[in-house]
Amino acid sequence: MLYLIELWETVRGFISTGGDVLWIVFGVLAVMWILMIERYWYMFMEFPKHKKAIIQRWDSREDTTSWYAHRVREAWISEASELLNARILLIKTLVAVCPLIGLFGTVTGMISVFEVMAVQGTGNPRLMASGISMATIPTMAGMVAALSGVFFSSRIETRVRMEVEKLVDSLPHH
Amino acid sequence: MKSIKTILTASAIALTSMTFGAYANSNSLDQLLQEVKSNRVSEAKLNKEREAEFQAARDQKQALLNKAKKELEAAQARQKQLQQTFADNEKRITEKTNELDDAKGTLGEMFGVVRQAAGDTVGRIATSIISAQPAYSDRTELLGRLAEAKELPKLNELEELWFALQTEMTESSKVVKFEAPVIGLDGSESMQTVTRVGSFNLLADDHYLKFNSESNQIEPLGRQPESHMVSSVADFNGTDSGYEGLYIDPSRGAILDIFKQKATMMERYHQGGLPGYVITVVLLIGMLISLERFVTLTIVGAKIKSQLKNLSNPSDKNPLGRILSVYHSNKSVDTETLELKLDEGILRETPSIERGVNVIKILAAIAPLLGLLGTVTGMIGTFQSITLFGTGDPKIMAGDISMALVTTAQGLIAALPLIFLHSITAAKSKSIVHVLEEQSAGIVAAHAEQERA
Repeated sequence: MLYLIELWETVRGFISTGGDVLWIVFGVLAVMWILMIERYWYMFMEFPKHKKAIIQRWDSREDTTSWYAHRVREAWISEASELLNARILLIKTLVAVCPLIGLFGTVTGMISVFEVMAVQGTGNPRLMASGISMATIPTMAGMVAALSGVFFSSRIETRVRMEVEKLVDSLPHH
Repeated sequence: MKSIKTILTASAIALTSMTFGAYANSNSLDQLLQEVKSNRVSEAKLNKEREAEFQAARDQKQALLNKAKKELEAAQARQKQLQQTFADNEKRITEKTNELDDAKGTLGEMFGVVRQAAGDTVGRIATSIISAQPAYSDRTELLGRLAEAKELPKLNELEELWFALQTEMTESSKVVKFEAPVIGLDGSESMQTVTRVGSFNLLADDHYLKFNSESNQIEPLGRQPESHMVSSVADFNGTDSGYEGLYIDPSRGAILDIFKQKATMMERYHQGGLPGYVITVVLLIGMLISLERFVTLTIVGAKIKSQLKNLSNPSDKNPLGRILSVYHSNKSVDTETLELKLDEGILRETPSIERGVNVIKILAAIAPLLGLLGTVTGMIGTFQSITLFGTGDPKIMAGDISMALVTTAQGLIAALPLIFLHSITAAKSKSIVHVLEEQSAGIVAAHAEQERA
């Protein structure tokens, strides 16, 4: 328990030195990871069932070679790939936005540094230090958040493409 | 001629009188001799008299000299005696001082402590907001005297110091309301109900006040802190009992002074200058477009969904319905022709769905670039002021630098929501286009199969 309190205090200290922009970074990071976990959950838990149902429906069809059959198959594949691809664009956007939010933190931090300079002059570097930490920490946080997202989001994308390919392969023209 | 005649006559008269004069002198010379002889006798007599007189005067002066000498001797004797007394007294003074110091003992140390404490207290009380209360407005006078005194403080003065310290302590624990004159920002004076919170803050009805210790006046702040802090003041003044939260300034006014110098959001916004306004326009246009797209696409999506449930009655009000009606009016044709007709129908529908989405993307890309433009113009201004004034005063450069930074921030602030809006509308339009491009033919095929069966 004490360990947790200590941990929380560390996090709070980190956020207070980094400024409010860190909250935005954390929010974006949280949404990004929730969406990515949801995607993984869908791919591993839900999609196999769906895929099985589609294959069954296809196998139970008598006509699998006519123009109608081809169009129906394409429509099913498109539906499935849409379900797999849902929110992938949003995840990618969130990943791309993270460094921008970090940059935003940098700029607001620098604004506060120059505000201190405008009021107090450059005599006291200590007063400027809080602004500088507000400038650098969000940048770092944004980078880390983006990095954590880049790897997993591209993995998910590849995986989705593979799943679609597999589905295409398992719907043969008899 | 006449004047020469006169001169001649006058000289003739003078000659006659001269001869007569010479004749008379030979007579009086004997007389003179006689007189000198007789005078010599009387003169000697006179000299004798004067000699006697001088003699007498000399004797008298001698007596005076003797007297003066005697007086000098007496004075010298007295001087010696006085010197002795002085030395004696000196010695006694030293002795007595030592005695006094011995007698004072630790009291001397106390004197120093009292002076120091009084000095500290004067400083604290003069700047304390408790002095703003009319009842405590003249507390510094006696303490000031005590702080500068050169002799041991009296008992009642010591008590005053003690009372002053304890009053300050006691009062700093209280929340007090009192009537006091407040000097407004325009110089007008008005009586107001002022609330004092300990020794930390002065509050009016709904804002913070400050105490100017130099002029001994209560003044409103030039600028109030952020609104959520100020609103707590009204809540606090509104409660009569129980507890109420309040933002206080533990530094007794220093932090409030810093808040006074802080730029408001609106001032920051205007620091961005022209690029800042352009960015705002870009953001607004982008938001309007995405709002329109969002609403349209949602409506179209809902219509397509309801059309999917009712494939036999295509409506002309939605893209899928229009594609289905192509099939319904071409039921008899062969599949190749049907596919061509369907493709034609799909091709007609997609542009209106994808419209505007790319504009949002472009606006999202433009916003940070405009921010960069503002940064560069700001930096140009900075370097111009450096050429004019040198780098000596960072305050001169600060204005342009803040423009540079604010526009960057504005560019990012505009870009972030636009990127999100783009990704949302793009996902929406993409899913609709997918339905039309990849699934509509399948839907038609499935529908046809059902009809045939």
